[in-house]
Amino acid sequence: MREGLVRGTGLVLTIAYASAIVWIYARQPDTFAQVRGGLASTMGAYSIDEQSFADALALFRREQFDAARAAFARADPAARDARTQFYIAYSYYRQGWHRLYRDDQLFTEGLKTVDKAIALAPDRRLLVEDPELTMHTADELRAELEAGLKRDAADFNPLRVFDTRK
Amino acid sequence: MTPLREAVFLPLALLTVAFLGGLDPGTDVPWTTPTLFSLVMAVLLLAAFVRSGTLAPDRLLHGERPVIANANGALVLAALFAGSAQLVTMLTPRSGLPLLIGGVVLFLLLVNTLVVSPDRVRLLRSLGVVIGSAFILKFIVLAALADPEGSRTKRVILALFDAATLGTIAQAPVHPAAGYIAFFMCILYLIAVAMLPGSHARGQALELRHKDIEVSTRRSV
Repeated sequence: MREGLVRGTGLVLTIAYASAIVWIYARQPDTFAQVRGGLASTMGAYSIDEQSFADALALFRREQFDAARAAFARADPAARDARTQFYIAYSYYRQGWHRLYRDDQLFTEGLKTVDKAIALAPDRRLLVEDPELTMHTADELRAELEAGLKRDAADFNPLRVFDTRK
Repeated sequence: MTPLREAVFLPLALLTVAFLGGLDPGTDVPWTTPTLFSLVMAVLLLAAFVRSGTLAPDRLLHGERPVIANANGALVLAALFAGSAQLVTMLTPRSGLPLLIGGVVLFLLLVNTLVVSPDRVRLLRSLGVVIGSAFILKFIVLAALADPEGSRTKRVILALFDAATLGTIAQAPVHPAAGYIAFFMCILYLIAVAMLPGSHARGQALELRHKDIEVSTRRSV
C-alpha cells in the first residue's frame, strides 16, 4: 500500500515537473515574474497594474521614454500584455527616430518588442485606439521599425530630412 | 532498488539536469533545447550504460512488474535520456573550433567506451573524467578567454590571441552563474547515474572477464 502511494506520488510529481519544463522551454521566460505571469495568463488570471500603466502613458506622452519603459515594465512585469508591449515598442521607435538618422540599437529593441506584442495578441492582430498615436496597429509599427533598420539607396535621399516622426 | 529512489529521486534528479542543463543565463534565448548531436550522444551514453551493466532496463520495465512500477521505470529512462542530452548540450562549447574539436573528442571517447565494454565502476570513473574535463574546458579555460573584464594588458593579449586564431577559438562571454549551475548539474547527473538500477549478472561477468584479461596479461609478461 505504502509502495503504491510512493510510486503514484512520484508519477504525478514527475509528470507535473516534466510539463513545467516543457512549458518553460516553449515560453522562454527570462525572470520568475515572467514565469508567474505566464502561468497566470495560461489560467486567464493575469492583469496589468493599471496605475503603473497610466503613469507610464503620461511619461510616454511627455517623451520621457526611458522612464516610461520602466513604468510599463512595472505595469506588465511578466511581459504578457500585448497593448503594453506595443507601447514599449512605440517608445523605442520614437526615441530612436532622429531627423538625420535612426538609432539601430533602439529600433532593434523595438522590433523585438513589437514581435512579442504581435505574438501575444489574439489572432496576432493588435489594434490600439489611441488618438495621440499616428500608427495604431502593430503591423504598421513593425514595418516602420524594419524600414528604419534597412540599409538602401533611399538612405542617401536628402529629402528624408522632411520625413515626420509618427 | 527502493520505490522512493525509482519513483521520486531518479526522475526528479535527472529532470533537473534536463531542465537546468539547458539554461544559458544572460542570453536572448535563455533555455536552449538539445542539439541533434546531443541526442545522438545521449543514445550512445544509454547504450554504454546498458552494456556496462550500469543500467539494467529490465529492472525498470518488465512484464512481471505492476503497471505503475513500469510507468515509473519508463519515466526514469525518458528522464535519463533527456538529462544526458542536455548535459552534453551544456558541456559542448557554443561555437567555432572548440565546438568541432569538443564534439569529435566527446564522440570518440564514447565510442571507445562502448567498444571497450567497461564494467560499472570503470564506466562511472571514465564518465566522471570525461564530464570533468569537458566542464574545465568550457567553463574555466574557454570562459577565461572570453571574459570581457580584466586589465588592459589582459584584453590586449586576448585580442591578439583572437586575431591570431582568426576568431575561431573565442566564445561568447559566459554568465558568472552558468559555471556554478553547470558544476552542480554535473555532480547531480553523476550521482543519479551511480544510483541507476544496475545489472549484477552483467557486472559480475564483466568483472570476471577483466580479471581473466589481467591474469593472462601477467602470465604473458
